[in-house]
Amino acid sequence: MFSLVLSSVRHNAGRYLATLVAIITGVGFYTAVGFISDRVIESLEGNVDAQYGNVDVAVIPTDPTSVEGAASDPTELRISQGVADQLLALPGVEGGAGILTGSVAFLGDDGKAFATGATGRLWIEDRELNPLQVDSGEAPTRAGEIAVDRGLAEDEDLSVGDDVTLLTLAGQESATIVGLTAFGDSDALDDGGTVSITEADAFDWLNSGQREYETYYLRGSGDQKTLVAEAADVVPAGFQAQSGDDFRDDQRETAGSFGNTLKKGLQAFAILALLVGGFVIYNTFSVIVAQRLRELAVLAAIGATPRQLKRSLRMEGLAIGVIGSVLGVVAGFVLTLLLDLVLRVTGNSLPGSGTTIGAANVIGGVLLGTVITVLSVMIPARRAARTEPIEAMRDAAVESNRLGRARGIVCALLVVVGLGATLVATGVATIGLGLLAFMVGVFVGAPYIAKGGARLSRPVLERLGMEGRLAVDNSVRNPKRTATTANALLIGVFLVTLVAVAGNSMKDFAVGEINKLQSADYLVVSTGGTIDPEFVSKLEGVPDVIKVAPFRREPVTVDGEATVVSSGDLDALTQVANVRASAGSLDDLGPEKIAVLDTNAEAQGSAVELSTGTVDDQNVDVGSTVTVEDNQGHRSEFTVVALIEPSLDSVQVGALLDPETFDSLFGQVAPTVAFVDVESGAQSETKDSINALADLRPDINVQEGNAVGKLIGTVFDFLIKAVTGLLLMSVVIALIGIINTMSLSILERRRELGLLRIIGMTDTRVRRMVTLESVLIAFLGTLSGLLSGLVVALALVLSINRLSEATITPSIPYLELLGVLVLGVVLGVLAALVPARRSTRLPVLDAIAAN
Amino acid sequence: MSSTPAAPPTASAARAVDARKTYGEGEAAVHALAGVTVSFPEREFTAIMGPSGSGKSTLMQCVAGLDRLTSGSAYIGDTDISQLNKTQLTLLRRDRLGFIFQQYNLIPSLTARENILLPMTLAGSKPDADWFDTIVRTVGMGDRLGNLPSELSGGQQQRVAVARALVPRPDIVFADEPTGALDSRTGIEILSFMRRAVDETGQTIVMVTHDPHAASYANTVLFLEDGQIVDSMEAPTADRVLDRMKRFEG
Repeated sequence: MFSLVLSSVRHNAGRYLATLVAIITGVGFYTAVGFISDRVIESLEGNVDAQYGNVDVAVIPTDPTSVEGAASDPTELRISQGVADQLLALPGVEGGAGILTGSVAFLGDDGKAFATGATGRLWIEDRELNPLQVDSGEAPTRAGEIAVDRGLAEDEDLSVGDDVTLLTLAGQESATIVGLTAFGDSDALDDGGTVSITEADAFDWLNSGQREYETYYLRGSGDQKTLVAEAADVVPAGFQAQSGDDFRDDQRETAGSFGNTLKKGLQAFAILALLVGGFVIYNTFSVIVAQRLRELAVLAAIGATPRQLKRSLRMEGLAIGVIGSVLGVVAGFVLTLLLDLVLRVTGNSLPGSGTTIGAANVIGGVLLGTVITVLSVMIPARRAARTEPIEAMRDAAVESNRLGRARGIVCALLVVVGLGATLVATGVATIGLGLLAFMVGVFVGAPYIAKGGARLSRPVLERLGMEGRLAVDNSVRNPKRTATTANALLIGVFLVTLVAVAGNSMKDFAVGEINKLQSADYLVVSTGGTIDPEFVSKLEGVPDVIKVAPFRREPVTVDGEATVVSSGDLDALTQVANVRASAGSLDDLGPEKIAVLDTNAEAQGSAVELSTGTVDDQNVDVGSTVTVEDNQGHRSEFTVVALIEPSLDSVQVGALLDPETFDSLFGQVAPTVAFVDVESGAQSETKDSINALADLRPDINVQEGNAVGKLIGTVFDFLIKAVTGLLLMSVVIALIGIINTMSLSILERRRELGLLRIIGMTDTRVRRMVTLESVLIAFLGTLSGLLSGLVVALALVLSINRLSEATITPSIPYLELLGVLVLGVVLGVLAALVPARRSTRLPVLDAIAAN
Repeated sequence: MSSTPAAPPTASAARAVDARKTYGEGEAAVHALAGVTVSFPEREFTAIMGPSGSGKSTLMQCVAGLDRLTSGSAYIGDTDISQLNKTQLTLLRRDRLGFIFQQYNLIPSLTARENILLPMTLAGSKPDADWFDTIVRTVGMGDRLGNLPSELSGGQQQRVAVARALVPRPDIVFADEPTGALDSRTGIEILSFMRRAVDETGQTIVMVTHDPHAASYANTVLFLEDGQIVDSMEAPTADRVLDRMKRFEG
């Protein structure tokens, strides 16, 4: 029997082409995703060990979202030199390393800045804790000496001995490159390049001369736990001591989690593509069974048992599945290499070095592809087993036009109950089950949709003449087959629509909510430097700028929670930015008085998560007392006179003090932040001028006021586009399915087509008939996918509104949906190209000749 | 064309002049038609007979524009069909010829009525209602017109096929073994309809058959052997045709 299977596969290679393509595409996509994500995950996790390998105790902020490179975050607390000295003095501690980073850039001889994305880093003297190694030259030791990473040196043509001008937070500094560094296998520790600076210079250049660190790492002898316990006593408020192992685990998790999420998300789509492929395979094998009915009947007549017939089909499926999956894995590897190449040509590159062929990916791909193929073959194989010997003598293929009544009732029930449940349910699980029931109903009921849709489209197509009429009739001759074909398209289009409608609704809602909260047009932040009057007047000199509101800001803890406290011209702040009191009055500020962010307002279900600067769930209200502690550990008590309404602007401000009180706490420091208000509508015109001013000051960073709204909009757009792109893959696979069905349809109707041609249907009209049928199938699949996608998306939005009291307005991207519909029709035409040509290729006489 | 030496004396619906059809080349060449000159007179029922491989089907197919001659020419009326392209041939078949096959070849999704009217629907022409009724009555399908082919017996399907060939009043109807798939009683019915169509409406019919009884319904029987016309018989009877056929085997 097995040799029969093999020879069958060999002799029918052409027929299996569509199946193979479907499997290869799906498996290829799946494995490519696996290879790429693994590489990303590996490199991210690998970096953790290179960077923190010898750390025994890590002193890090309590809210450890980002441990390093957070220099641009103005709310960050620092560890003072005093604390560092105490840590180093602990028994058992053998070495320590303080981390201090800040953005730097180089100033070229032509007055232009280069390597603007580079990070300046305090050079760590302790060799075991320093993640960097000196690659050539030597480490920076004297003032004015720096080391740059190997990659940066190569990119910017820098070498040991060069004298350069460094743009730092403190201004322009002259420096000499004394060494080139490497980070493990890679060049730089930071994305834009690493510049290592001696400790003294780092404090001056990166931290306004303050001897402070962002985080501090210790290594020592003895038990990590003991060390951690000792360190915990010294650690300042807002920081925690963590054992090296825990710390590395956390870091690895943070680093890898992005990659893992990416991998899971992408693989979900890949599996989806494979499932759509499953439909195509099911279709192809149905076709093959129908085509070989006579052959199977002859086998049955000469004594093959139903079980043998079934097994032979399954074996064919297995053979095709294994071949396709193996080729798919190869295709996936090639795809990965191609992607890497394309990225490299365009100046990007995948993180990590070299793609490793992970056994898990290879085995997973082959297994998944084979299993799906074999499963898809089950039903056609059962049908093959039912072949009666008598069918060898029958003339035409028997048509399975029957649709059971039970099927109809079950489908209708599923659709109605599913949708009903979704619309009234209050539990997430019920809603999910409801939607699932709805989709299963639509899916299983697709033959009815095919029949009904064909009946509805009949009046339209009949106008196109006999070929239109026959096209409709042909599509309902085997409604199950039409439905399976259309279903492959339905899934793809359903998901595209769902993502487009639900995604766009969410995007509009989120962006709208954020825009409500925001009123300043720009936020200008200096990290390390100041927003001095000169810069303010330069900003005010930009045409269309109405007002600049600078304010002073310092990191503190309020009742133990890390936040910032600010002070500035209250009138200007409230005018330019969205900073206003939700209780009490800001005018009451004075000695020993403070205004803090209102946490109660946040609880009312604002869409924006305001993560920083709010006093946590204690009952802070007007009249309560709070304790503020600064970097140096000075504590003061204040009475709350006002609560500030949370907004993106007020989060930047944090708590408010009046200028005198601020002076008494922090001294007469200069403003470091400013809100800028411009003429409405002048945002894009002013952007370039303001950015140009900021470019000359590496410490200054400009954020567009509605940037967050725009950013979120862009992120949503990107996600929607990326997901849609991936889903379109499944649509393309569905195209293969239509080609298949049409080819079979033509084969089955060979004599019929021949007769039509004999009695006077011209070849053009025959081809048009085939095309119309294909378009009809594609259109039905697309339309039902579109409608069910729309229904599910709207049901989802309504459910979210009901559950969360939000009011998301469904936004339907009509134009895109119309585009999808047009795409469906175009796919139908494309799918018909080959079958239509084939339909008239046979000479008429051969077409009607008895077999 | 008027100078053709073999021009027949009476008006002919279709004819072939020195028709040759060769498959393969050189030593392996098979001459399905080895120079046949023949004329099918108007308003007559002509049967073509001959043993298997004699070329009788090929002759009909080439004259009906379903296949092309290797050399020589074939005419439908005065139209030299060897000069027509594929589409012109299709339109000629649609407008001027009718076909009846051994396999009934009905379109399964169309009703009997729609199948009968199919050639006219394709041509976009209106059927003559009286004529349609006459034909339908003649073939005895009046009460089954709304049925699909799958709901009809083999004999009924062949009657629909005959009606389909006759309703557009073609210049000539070609029938290829029309009774081959039918039992003898149904076969006789079909042949009677064809006979009546010739006698009562002046239809021209050319039929290929190997059944002497079927041939006895024709006005003339032509005998083919090895791609050439070897004999013909006027006013045939089944017995005489059978006798003539036995000579081929002997």
